[in-house]
Amino acid sequence: MTTPARTRPASQWQLIVRRFTKHRVAMFCLYILISLYLVSMLAPYIAPYPRDEISLDRSYVTPMQTSKIGTFHVLGTDHIGRDFFTRLIYAARVSLTTALTVVTISTIIGVTVGLIAGYFGGWVDNLVTRFIEFISTFPTFTLLLIAGSIILQSEQAIPIPEILTKIFSFLMAINEREARQVVMIVVIFVLLGWTGVARFVRGMVLSIREQLYVESSRALGGSHIHNMLTHVLPNAMPPIIVAYTLGLSGTLVSESALSFLGFGIQDPTPSWGNMLSFANSYMFNYPWMPLVPTLPILVCSLAINYVGDGLRDALDPRVQTEVRREQRDALLAAIRERSKS
Amino acid sequence: MATFLIRRLIQMVIVLLASAIVSYALLYLAPGGPTTGLRQIQQGGRNSITAEDIARIKARFELDLFLPYRFTRWLAGFPSGPITIGGQTFFADTPAGCAIPGQVRLRYPDGTSEIIEEGCEEYVTFADLADRRTSRGIIFGDFGNSQVILRDRPISVLIESRLPYTLQLMGAALFISILIGVPLGIYSAVRQYSRFDYVMTTVSFVGSSLPTFVIGIICILIFAIAAKEAGLPYLPPGSAVALSDYTVPWIGTVESESTLDRLLHFIMPCGVLVFVNIAGYSRFIRSGMLEVLRLDYVRTARSKGLRERTVVLKHALRNAILPFITLLAGVFAELFGGAAITEAIFNWPGLGRLLVDSIERTDYTVAMSLTMVSIFLLLLGYLITDILYSVLDPRIRLS
Repeated sequence: MTTPARTRPASQWQLIVRRFTKHRVAMFCLYILISLYLVSMLAPYIAPYPRDEISLDRSYVTPMQTSKIGTFHVLGTDHIGRDFFTRLIYAARVSLTTALTVVTISTIIGVTVGLIAGYFGGWVDNLVTRFIEFISTFPTFTLLLIAGSIILQSEQAIPIPEILTKIFSFLMAINEREARQVVMIVVIFVLLGWTGVARFVRGMVLSIREQLYVESSRALGGSHIHNMLTHVLPNAMPPIIVAYTLGLSGTLVSESALSFLGFGIQDPTPSWGNMLSFANSYMFNYPWMPLVPTLPILVCSLAINYVGDGLRDALDPRVQTEVRREQRDALLAAIRERSKS
Repeated sequence: MATFLIRRLIQMVIVLLASAIVSYALLYLAPGGPTTGLRQIQQGGRNSITAEDIARIKARFELDLFLPYRFTRWLAGFPSGPITIGGQTFFADTPAGCAIPGQVRLRYPDGTSEIIEEGCEEYVTFADLADRRTSRGIIFGDFGNSQVILRDRPISVLIESRLPYTLQLMGAALFISILIGVPLGIYSAVRQYSRFDYVMTTVSFVGSSLPTFVIGIICILIFAIAAKEAGLPYLPPGSAVALSDYTVPWIGTVESESTLDRLLHFIMPCGVLVFVNIAGYSRFIRSGMLEVLRLDYVRTARSKGLRERTVVLKHALRNAILPFITLLAGVFAELFGGAAITEAIFNWPGLGRLLVDSIERTDYTVAMSLTMVSIFLLLLGYLITDILYSVLDPRIRLS
């Protein structure tokens, strides 16, 4: 007789992944987002026309039509004859990369600050919370507008190390002068964005650090860094991940809103927001025009939110009963196997 | 309670002062302002502008004063001239600013040269300040003068002309969305997992994840452009009143600036705001209700034999609505500040668009005034909600 095959209980993360993959809509949205980003990464190879090629002979071409000079445009052309499809995928690269970098950096800063403030408490915590409270009294959007207008008028408003502009111009397939401006936008968003993450991480850490397992690790002589990184942080991770996804769509939307109002990324550099703001002024003669840049904003913000929703369901400790049920089912199955043999 | 109030008020003043300093400094850094473009005029033609002209314009807008004095004069109207104590004047000759900056020509080794402002040729003294008009300071309700939009006229005139539009739009939108959003949230929580709940959560999910400008543009495309082309009654796409009379199918001729005209212009921006707000509010109320409905005291109420209606509306709702009050802390600031993006899309002449315009046209005194008022109202909102919270929820003691 052979020993019964022992089913190894699934780890927490495996369960989470399993639960997430069951969420059909979220999975579908995740695929859409990934493929969109891949397409935008391949922009120089896919794009049918050069990004900024202006030609008045083919302006205002309706989608799926051929222009007077015989060029075909899937999504039409804008008021100066630039191909919408080409610009949209380049813009995807700019807009998505901006959102990703902003949220990644501000999450890293926010988590670090929140972790330190919440874990140590005392005057560190006091200082950090006061500072965060102070920053959050400012109307964020107003500050974004002001900062946007400042960097619009002077290129040297924020000193940016050259290496950063080089990295961004590579990531977004834009030249360094354009990259400089985008980096400044990223900096502004990060400066205003990290406080929210820090505040809520701090709140979570405050309750986690009182848990028994953290206390016992402390009693066993674990260093502060060890405690924070191996006990506190992993337990705070699920909500951070959800906040990360939701922050992604938030940043994407506010960046497009800012560019839409004319204070964000400026015209030769394509971004969904500034494309929309141009298309918007021709909406009465060419009603299809604003729809073209609206569509990716709409799809992306919805898709990211659905993914966030799916993640929340998969990570939410309140659905723990489901984990329990799965574990119980697995155990019962193992017992039945044994009784059969 | 009294000590709490006093402490909070002191805190409020400190935060307000600090944010005034920060935003003033930020806008001080910003280029632009009333002297923009003067250099270009200077280049060409007979009406060339001299350094004295620029100095005069700068003096008019106080741009020639040193930053600390500019700030205190803007904030509290001080100093308004040399200080007089017992008939004796002090600081009369102390420089308070620089009227005409000195110019230095730098010659580089490669033959090029550059003119750089360095030092000061003519100072503004405290004695000069006495002859100038002085605003009473923003903390005493004097916003000062607009620099670009209404060149040299009081900002309060500008705000007064825009405020009614914003109050109208934001007030109606808030009122309607609370009136609809709260019951929807309650109903959807009570009937959790029903078809209604499913539709409701999906719609509000979409509503709260789409940006307002996307919803706004789609609305204009459908209700203004497509409806007009289809010969159906359409809504005007923008601004608050029409410039001339127009005809709408089924309704007939709409007179410009009539009540009907105003109403038609009002529907779309208000509708977009209501939709977005309802999406947020109903989600908020729904999750709050779901949490409360699970609690023991609700079960107790049911087992006592109370009607479901009473249980939900009297027992559960009271607790579920509490967090909603915190959400309303920003209401005052919102009522005043308006919705910048919605107003921009629908060309609504409110304060939100004024803010965008003032920043775009580098009229920084206007932007500053608007920012300061909204920060003040936001802080006030926080204070009021804290007090309200303690009144409504006896478990919370203010200390």
